[in-house]
Amino acid sequence: MITLAVFIFFAVLAVVAALLVVIQKNAMHSVLYLAFTVLATAGVFFALQAEYLGGIQILVYGGGIVVLYIFVIIIVNLKEIVPERRGLVPKLFLVGVPVLLCAEVVTLVMRTGFPSAPSGPEGPGFREMAEMLFASYLLPFEAASILLLAVLIGAIVVARRRHIDDPD
Amino acid sequence: MIPIEAVIGFGLIVFTIGLAGVLVRKNLVIMLMSLELLLNGVNIILAGLGRHLNSPRGSIFALFVIINAVSEAAVGFALVLAYFRHRKSYDTDSLNELKG
Amino acid sequence: MFALIPLFPLLGAAVNGLVGIRWFSKRAVGLTAVGAAGLSFAASVAAFAGLLRSAEPVLVKTLFTWVPASPIRTAGGTTVPFALDLAFRYDSLAAVMTLVVTGVGLLIHIYSVGYMSHDRGYARFFAYLNLFTFAMLVLVLGANLAVMFIGWEGVGLCSYLLIGFWFTKDSAADAGKKAFITNRVGDFGFLLGTGLLLFALGTIDIAGITAAAEGGMLAKGTATAAALLLFLGATGKSAQIPLYTWLPDAMEGPTPVSALIHAATMVTAGVYMVARLHALFSLSGTAMTVVALTGAFTAVYAATMGFVQTDIKRVLAYSTISQIGYMFIGLGVGAYAAGIFHLVTHAFFKSLLFLAAGSVIHALSGEQDMRRMGGLRRRIPRTYFVFLVGALAISGLPGLSGFFSKDEILASAFASGNTLVWGLGLAGSAMTAFYMFRLIFLTFFGEERFSGETAGHLHESPPVMLVPLQVLALLAVVGGYVGLPHILGGGAWFGRFLETSTGAHESHLAAGTEILLMAASVAAAAVAIFAAWTIYVRRKGEPARRFAERFRALHRTVARKYYVDEAYARIFVGGVLVAARVADWIDRRVIDGLVDGAAALARGVSRLSILFDEGVVDGAVNGVGRVHLAASSLLRRLQTGFVYNYALAVVLGAALVITLVIVVL
Repeated sequence: MITLAVFIFFAVLAVVAALLVVIQKNAMHSVLYLAFTVLATAGVFFALQAEYLGGIQILVYGGGIVVLYIFVIIIVNLKEIVPERRGLVPKLFLVGVPVLLCAEVVTLVMRTGFPSAPSGPEGPGFREMAEMLFASYLLPFEAASILLLAVLIGAIVVARRRHIDDPD
Repeated sequence: MIPIEAVIGFGLIVFTIGLAGVLVRKNLVIMLMSLELLLNGVNIILAGLGRHLNSPRGSIFALFVIINAVSEAAVGFALVLAYFRHRKSYDTDSLNELKG
Repeated sequence: MFALIPLFPLLGAAVNGLVGIRWFSKRAVGLTAVGAAGLSFAASVAAFAGLLRSAEPVLVKTLFTWVPASPIRTAGGTTVPFALDLAFRYDSLAAVMTLVVTGVGLLIHIYSVGYMSHDRGYARFFAYLNLFTFAMLVLVLGANLAVMFIGWEGVGLCSYLLIGFWFTKDSAADAGKKAFITNRVGDFGFLLGTGLLLFALGTIDIAGITAAAEGGMLAKGTATAAALLLFLGATGKSAQIPLYTWLPDAMEGPTPVSALIHAATMVTAGVYMVARLHALFSLSGTAMTVVALTGAFTAVYAATMGFVQTDIKRVLAYSTISQIGYMFIGLGVGAYAAGIFHLVTHAFFKSLLFLAAGSVIHALSGEQDMRRMGGLRRRIPRTYFVFLVGALAISGLPGLSGFFSKDEILASAFASGNTLVWGLGLAGSAMTAFYMFRLIFLTFFGEERFSGETAGHLHESPPVMLVPLQVLALLAVVGGYVGLPHILGGGAWFGRFLETSTGAHESHLAAGTEILLMAASVAAAAVAIFAAWTIYVRRKGEPARRFAERFRALHRTVARKYYVDEAYARIFVGGVLVAARVADWIDRRVIDGLVDGAAALARGVSRLSILFDEGVVDGAVNGVGRVHLAASSLLRRLQTGFVYNYALAVVLGAALVITLVIVVL
């Protein structure tokens, strides 16, 4: 009961914040609302008994990505506001299509049912997740580490300041 | 008990908002932020399904999604920095050098 | 033993021809060739001796079996086994022939060592000469018509090679071809005759034919036909009417060649052949008459031309034709031995005359025209002497060989009742004496009509050339005594010796008649010689010149050899040319027309094809290109370069797909 209420609270919060993210003209404002969205989503995770996921969400997303965004905006001095020169009709179209997509997916979901599994009030355990992660999904796990390594190197390479005698 | 349809519904809404943001906004940074929303929406759905099916797989999948999101954000920012230095603007409309 | 006789010249020819031309010195070549000839002569003598001692009149040696015995049907309907071997036959006739061929051949080989010493083709000459000797020996030793034909063809080939020895000279090359082609016509007759005999008798063995003919198995008509056909071949080889035209031209060859081939040996092949097949010829009176008359007419006809010829060798050539005519007279009246006898004596004095003429030409540095000779009697006396001996022999001076042989022929002709033939023979005899001494007087008597430069080089021939001449002169003198007739005290051994091969021939003449005939011919000859002396020595040729002016047309006709060559050229060569022209017309008009038509057709088809190719095919290809261009210019607009467009596309696509899914499911 309580879980449901919590869930609804955080869900609505997330949706509203998301909407605000997209609408803002000022990038800094968008970032703020992004932070909100992330936190709200974390709350949703907790309500869904995916505690680990919620923790990761806060740490990585909130502490990492949002901060990253802020830093980028500061570094590039995103002062000027890019005038949105799109016309109304294109905007409608551009919004309409995703909505349509959403509706379709919903329809699809409605039609096909869901296989239910007996779910206890605790949901999947942490222990089980860890076991599965390191057993069945070991390869993706390791691959992900390598990916992160590559990204690390790549981002540095791409973003560094070029000197005149740079071999690139 | 949280009805799974609700979860999926919310996730979808968030996803849609992010998608619309990507399409509509011209500001490069905000475009990237909308992308994060997309991913978030997906994660919600995954977590919900994980709970519904009583399997840790949902969380694991979502974990990987997050890792990917992080990677993509990092690289994306690097590119933004590089491009900004070159062009001094993030008007994605001016990113049309691949115009055929 | 006798089979070895042809072997030595064959080896000599092979060695000189294959090795000698490149690597032998002149001496080596000469030694090889003369050695081969000498060995051959020695073998002939040995074989002769063996024959004299042996009880067998005929010896046959088979070298190998060519066609094993297989049954064939004859015209008469019987089936006989036909076998053909490469076999040699040695009997008295073969003995005589081989002795003459190898003996005279040896002397001529020796003479040639000197005569040809300055020639570049020295080794080639001797190779050919040896090869010729080989072929001639195969001819006379052949036991059947096939082997004989091998030799027959072989001498024809060598004649061609030797006449055209100096082939860079057009006239020589032409002469060689003329000889060969004319011979070929005769060979055709020979082959037909052989075929006829084969068809009728089932054998072409000499022994077989003789047996069949004497045994009465041969119909007279068949015998006549076969004999005449074979005789046609003989006229070709032996230069009688109508196939004689090649012999005067054959004088283009070197003088030793003229001596050997065209006096002593090859031209006598026809005579030999008729004598060999005497059994066949005797069966047909018609054939015999033809032979005799041909010989008689040829004898006189050729003699007339000796009157006006100015080339010393040509006179001798016509003389040869004439003398062979005598041989055929002898054969034609059945006196085969007499004919062969004259063959032998003629070989002696004619080759002597030719070689002596060669000596004269050599002395005069190549001059052959008698109008530019004269007075050589004092300059080259030795040559003059042997020449005189030869001339006297051929004219029938009593005591010399020619007298005996010619007289025997004339006597036999008279005895056979063929007065016409005898008359012609007598006339020819007189004419022979006349033109021969005309030659002598023009060449050796009178004033010297040659240039001073020639006079400077005048010299007698070297011994290597003179000695054979002297040997031949000796033979020309004494050679006749082997045939000394009974009435003069001799035993007529020659005739008797040949009986085994040629059959007995009895001449039924009273002794008195015979002496009378002899006297007649001697007288005729003497008159002729005197006339020649008067005209050419006493009157310095004036009467002859005036005669020629008075009867210019006649003189020209005879001088131009009665225009026979021209007639032949018109008829035969012209005929072939006409046929060739017709063929050419057909080729150009008809065949080329077809070909051009086909080409035009092909051109039209190709034009159609081009049309198709350009219009249809190229149109399709270009069309595809153009469609592509249009499509791409359309599609290009999708690449806006704006990210959101692409994102939109993705989303739109996803939406569409899901729509599909919803709708379908």
